[in-house]
Amino acid sequence: MDSAIAQKTWELENNILAVEAPDPSSDFIFYYDEVAQAMSLKAKPWANDPHFFKRVKISALALLKMVIHARSGGTIEVMGLMIGKTDGDAIIVMDAFALPVEGTETRVNAQADAYEYMVDYSQTNKQAGRLENVVGWYHSHPGYGCWLSGIDVSTQMLNQQFQEPFLAVVIDPTRTVSSGKVYIGAFRTYPEGYKPTDDPISEYQTIPLNKIEDFGVHCKQYYALNISYFKSSLDCHLLDLLWNKYWVNTLSSSPLLGNGDYVAGQLSDLAEKLEQAENHLTHSRIGPLGTSRKKVIKDILFNSVRQSK
Amino acid sequence: MASSSSSGLTFKLHPLVIVNISDHYTRVKSQLNLPPSLTSTSSAATSNNNNNNSNGGENNQQKPPRVYGCVIGVQRGRTVEIFNSFELIYDPSTRSLDRSFLEKKQELYKKVFPHFYVLGWYSTGSDAQESDMHFHKALMDINESPLYVLLNPAINPAQKDLPVTIYESELHVIDGVPQLIFVRSSYTIETVEAERISVDHVAHLKPSGGSAATQLAAQLTGIHSAIKMLNSRIRVVHQYLVGMQKGDIPCESSLLRQVSSLLRRLPAIESEKFQDDFLMEYNDTLLITYLAMFTNCSSTMNELVDKFNTAYDRHSRRGGRTAFI
Repeated sequence: MDSAIAQKTWELENNILAVEAPDPSSDFIFYYDEVAQAMSLKAKPWANDPHFFKRVKISALALLKMVIHARSGGTIEVMGLMIGKTDGDAIIVMDAFALPVEGTETRVNAQADAYEYMVDYSQTNKQAGRLENVVGWYHSHPGYGCWLSGIDVSTQMLNQQFQEPFLAVVIDPTRTVSSGKVYIGAFRTYPEGYKPTDDPISEYQTIPLNKIEDFGVHCKQYYALNISYFKSSLDCHLLDLLWNKYWVNTLSSSPLLGNGDYVAGQLSDLAEKLEQAENHLTHSRIGPLGTSRKKVIKDILFNSVRQSK
Repeated sequence: MASSSSSGLTFKLHPLVIVNISDHYTRVKSQLNLPPSLTSTSSAATSNNNNNNSNGGENNQQKPPRVYGCVIGVQRGRTVEIFNSFELIYDPSTRSLDRSFLEKKQELYKKVFPHFYVLGWYSTGSDAQESDMHFHKALMDINESPLYVLLNPAINPAQKDLPVTIYESELHVIDGVPQLIFVRSSYTIETVEAERISVDHVAHLKPSGGSAATQLAAQLTGIHSAIKMLNSRIRVVHQYLVGMQKGDIPCESSLLRQVSSLLRRLPAIESEKFQDDFLMEYNDTLLITYLAMFTNCSSTMNELVDKFNTAYDRHSRRGGRTAFI
């Protein structure tokens, strides 16, 4: 009961707009309308507008599966596929499944091995009566944030050419566990040579020094989509009841113990960044500091400030 | 036919399984009962592996369909941990289980989760039925003692307990004939840290973006409600004990023993080494917070200097200070 009151007060204070109300009509999202889907696949409204898809709706089940799979990989990147459908300018992800390939980002051919698995899985799914199709892929960046690396960008561009509609989702399980909020990002790439008309404002996140170059080079080639979540009425009910069972874990689990080395790693990264900033300063002319110099210092400082929040 | 189990196995259920079953059920149900705005022709074409559907029309008062599937996990010694589940094709009218499908799915899941194997099966409904025994027996050649997880999809707002029951099968002699019957077992919910966070996230629909303040508020609200829950539970035990002391409630020695053993465990750890480690961690955290505040301060100072320079810049404006418009 108390948790319900706490939840309602919090929701009120934070103006939660699109709360998926647990009434029977919202379960409609689970219904797969074959006719409408086939029509939209033929019409392909995304072919002309690279910025067509703006929102992503992820189901509770898909999120749970993806986060658990990402975390189970530890420090190794894992990947999987998502199935679902489209709905106007939103992509709806109903479920996700893991692919039996792990590897570093340099393994572009991971996709080739996984195709057989994917075909098998899709076939068995269709047999069991799941009518949705594959709408995207997800992979994890353990510890270094939600963004697309160079390899990811090229993979996604390829996917968007041949398997539209397709979505790329990145999950960071280490940051999720250490901060207690789910770190997830959904992206679509722009086609080759397309310049976005407006500068997309992305949420600032800290990137470790060794990856920051890769991030910077490609960050303009894709855009992030808004993510919202949905769940069925039965899910709502069950999740509320589940809370009664695992509230103990909320108190007993400590992020300090679980993520000791991650925090240590972040601190050493911070130290490196500060050193770099200092070197930048001492090597340059110490006259009236131009605005560009100040910007560099500010950027590096801001990096560390956001990180420790 | 459900009495309490005596096999001595402890069961741990992961929330993923529960959400999986609920999702399966919701999908099948919504594929049937479409909203009145859509025509009935598409529904007739798309009603598929539904088991109890005899009339594929706009009938919204059908009996809720039963879904069937398989649960997988690990068994270590006496603990059985159920991690995941997937659907199965089963036809209750002919009582046939699609074997090849089951095997194919097993193979696929083995590739991704090599440690898990089939532990049993699941279904939805309000109570275990006789016909379920056939399914149970069919699975017995994969696992000698399969589990039956039953989810009751009826949403009952007054319910405080999870509508999930786990049944095992035991050989009992009834009327001289050895028969397999279902016996209920108790289970606990087990979560991995990541699971808990994402379940929490979806359960309370926390904003994924948003400023640091709302994030912190959301996290603290979670911890606050957990502490409230702990508080209310302790109060209940306290009231119970007071009642027992006054004599209102009959004394129950087993309960008293449990309470006393719990109290004797507090304080949990008292050794010196613990104090050392604890204070070290505490100091580390305080240092990091100090560093964060430090950098915050220096960036604010930097901004202040910037603003001052822009407002009172001697080189770009004639004369000394001019009012900053």
